[in-house]
Amino acid sequence: MSVLAGDLREAMTSSAMIAVKNLDFYYGQHKALHGITMDFPKRKVTGMIGPSGCGKSTLLRVLNRMYDLYPGQRATGEVMFDGRNIVAPGMDMNRLRARVGMVFQKPTPFPMSIYDNIAFGVKLHEKLSRAEMDARVEDVLHRVALWSEVKDRLKSSATALSGGQQQRLCIARTIATRPEVVLLDEPTSALDPVSTARIEELLDELKKEFTIAIVTHNMQQAARCADQVAFFYLGELVEIDSTDRMFTAPREKRTQDYITGRFG
Amino acid sequence: MDVTSGPAGSPTTHNARSDAGARRGLDGDAVFRVLVTGAGVTVLALLGAIILVMLFGGVQAFSTFGPAFLVSNVWNPVSNHYGALAPVFGTLVTSVIGLLIAVPLAFGAAFWLTQLAPARVSAVIGMAVQLLAAVPSIIFGMWGFFVVRPLMAHYVQPNLRHTIGHVPVLGALVQGAPFGTGLMTGGIILAVMVMPFVTAVMRDVFSSIPPVLKESAFGLGATRWEVMRQVILPWSRRAVVGAVVLGMGRAMGETMAVTFVIGNANRIGWSLFAPGNTIASLIALEFPESAAGSLKLSSLMALGAILMALSFLALCASRLMLGVSSRQARR
Amino acid sequence: MSADHALKQASATPVAAEPDRWRVGSALVARRRFMDRLATVLSLCATSVALVALVSILLTLLVRGAAGLSLVTFTHSTASPGLNGGLANAIVGSLIQTAIAIAIGAPLGMLCGIFLANYGRGWVASTTRFVSDMLLSAPSILIGLFIYQIVVAPTGQFSGFAGGLALAILALPIVVRTTEDMLALVPTALVEAGIALGARKWRVIVFICLRAARTGVITGILLAVARVTGETAPLLFTSLGNQEWSVNPAHPMASLPVTIYQYAGSAYEDWVQLAWTGALLVTLGVLAINIIVRVGFDRKGA
Repeated sequence: MSVLAGDLREAMTSSAMIAVKNLDFYYGQHKALHGITMDFPKRKVTGMIGPSGCGKSTLLRVLNRMYDLYPGQRATGEVMFDGRNIVAPGMDMNRLRARVGMVFQKPTPFPMSIYDNIAFGVKLHEKLSRAEMDARVEDVLHRVALWSEVKDRLKSSATALSGGQQQRLCIARTIATRPEVVLLDEPTSALDPVSTARIEELLDELKKEFTIAIVTHNMQQAARCADQVAFFYLGELVEIDSTDRMFTAPREKRTQDYITGRFG
Repeated sequence: MDVTSGPAGSPTTHNARSDAGARRGLDGDAVFRVLVTGAGVTVLALLGAIILVMLFGGVQAFSTFGPAFLVSNVWNPVSNHYGALAPVFGTLVTSVIGLLIAVPLAFGAAFWLTQLAPARVSAVIGMAVQLLAAVPSIIFGMWGFFVVRPLMAHYVQPNLRHTIGHVPVLGALVQGAPFGTGLMTGGIILAVMVMPFVTAVMRDVFSSIPPVLKESAFGLGATRWEVMRQVILPWSRRAVVGAVVLGMGRAMGETMAVTFVIGNANRIGWSLFAPGNTIASLIALEFPESAAGSLKLSSLMALGAILMALSFLALCASRLMLGVSSRQARR
Repeated sequence: MSADHALKQASATPVAAEPDRWRVGSALVARRRFMDRLATVLSLCATSVALVALVSILLTLLVRGAAGLSLVTFTHSTASPGLNGGLANAIVGSLIQTAIAIAIGAPLGMLCGIFLANYGRGWVASTTRFVSDMLLSAPSILIGLFIYQIVVAPTGQFSGFAGGLALAILALPIVVRTTEDMLALVPTALVEAGIALGARKWRVIVFICLRAARTGVITGILLAVARVTGETAPLLFTSLGNQEWSVNPAHPMASLPVTIYQYAGSAYEDWVQLAWTGALLVTLGVLAINIIVRVGFDRKGA
């Protein structure tokens, strides 16, 4: 990367994978996000915290325009991703979602085999030969550390896996389409502590290749996994900073109250 | 919820006042329990009676013709010889034609109503489709006779004969004088009647899919059609088959709509445009001309028993499929 | 351009030769977009088939039926061809037989629904539920045959009562189903509150649960009315039809659907006209009930 010395501003913007600017979001009449402005730096993990209903999940669902599925939900402002404002009309939604993958709170395996679950997304966007597809499936299963557990039953139903395995499968399914950004919406809240730990380890691996945004209720999780943390409250972005500073020296009182309250 | 079952309040453990109250209440409960149980048993007995009446009514035919009744296609009131094959054939053929047309249409409509249409449009159009299901079958019969039949006679069959009439196998399907009545017209009317039912069941099934599952598929960049085809359909496959079988049951039992356009001829042939008959139509048309106690009447009752069995099988199959998948859905 | 290749390139020379990742795999994308459009168009067509059929039926009925609609339709009974007959006997006959059907079917159905919702356990309940579904989907002409065999044949008399009885068997499972479904929706807390006040179970069910489920149960009864009013097949061998004015349920009785059936295929112009007029009346009645029920019920549900 040829960053001109001194031109700090350009370095900042070129390292931002997604740049959100003055984003408002509405559920019908109700305004759920108020003028959000923040960056998601490239190949970093951005943690999003805040109490229920604070808008953190809403913001996540703007980044791949999942809200488009529901009438009455709309976003105004600017979300720049690879040179385009993705909340503007005329966006190719399928292409966007191929580039910005998402993993949900509950594991959502499709009612098909483990292999087909992964192949599903890949087939949508690429024409691969049988061998290439096999290689892709094996590769992503290795990366989510699921290969050794499922390699003998790739053709059996994915719904028979345990919750933690299902969630890792869903992550594998998402990265198999080779997105640039991975959105995680409380990915471990339905899992036991052991499965949670494995997913967190996985995030460290994934951020070498992907830009990650993770919504979490769990303060320790944000502290462990995130490079920068954003605190939301009542639809506003209260504070965003590096993880260290956020948890050691927050600038805002509200942030401090929330963090310390949760830490007990 | 069975809170007061059994003699919970034993009289000896109560004082006089509540004892009297309890006993009066207990009597009310007991009477009510007998009443509602009686109603349930009545419904059970009703179906039993219907089946028995059909079977006993058909005994004469079954014993006269034996198993040959099922495989004979003769229906001759003059020689007093009757067989079930022709109307059973007609029933199955018209129902299958009806479903072949109705199922793709119903699937398309359910897909559009649940996945594509805006909520308000979907509510209004969905209601219109439901109204189509509520139209009495005799109206479909009249509509079929006065609107569809002329179309078939003047346009569909002549054109089909012209285009594929000389093709070896297909040609046989379109032979016959262009009356406009026959198995094909019956099947088309049935398709229009059955489609809203199948649409309704499919709609319920498709809209009961967990939203997260749909969102994950969209999240991978799938189009609406890909989500439907590759996620929703596999997820609801059993229920969809159940819906189809349910439609089959309805189509087989339909009387009035088919009677108007079936042509009333008890024969089996290759042509879909030749007049035919279904069990229900045959009963409707021939019953008034059957003397009580005659072999003909008994043959009609025997046909009724066969029809009952067919619709029973269809219901069992669809319940099995729909039941399993709705249990799946609730988990 | 494969994504794999694109990724490598992106990480090697991120700024300079970055390919436009918004546009990739044109053939595949075009095919997918085409399939999606095709499916959308086809599904819209499928939906319109139903709408076209509905509109065609309604228009046909209006055009052909409204021509014969006059006061005579409601004041005169059916008569021989050329004698300016009406449908008064058929309309009244339909009303009487529907009333008999609901008078028998609704209470029995409600009791059976209560049985299934509040008392039914084990195989008896599940069998009853299945049998009720069986009745719901049983071919209606067989119900006519059944009543003929057990009522008409022994008494040697076609009658309006027999017709009403046949219709009652059709109405019954509809009421059973809706009653059970609606009672199942009554919150358990409501029942427990009633029991906690010391009320007996039957009182709680009748005065609290049934009252709470009132709208739904009435809906079910109305739907049953709509269903049986349009039924023809079960009446053919039971109430038979009657040319004359008759309100005696012990005698053969006219009804709209049977009159339509008998007149639609006749060679007389005015009879065919009466059939269309009758068809219009039946359809409007049935659809009106359905619209009231669905619109009214939806509003309640929302």
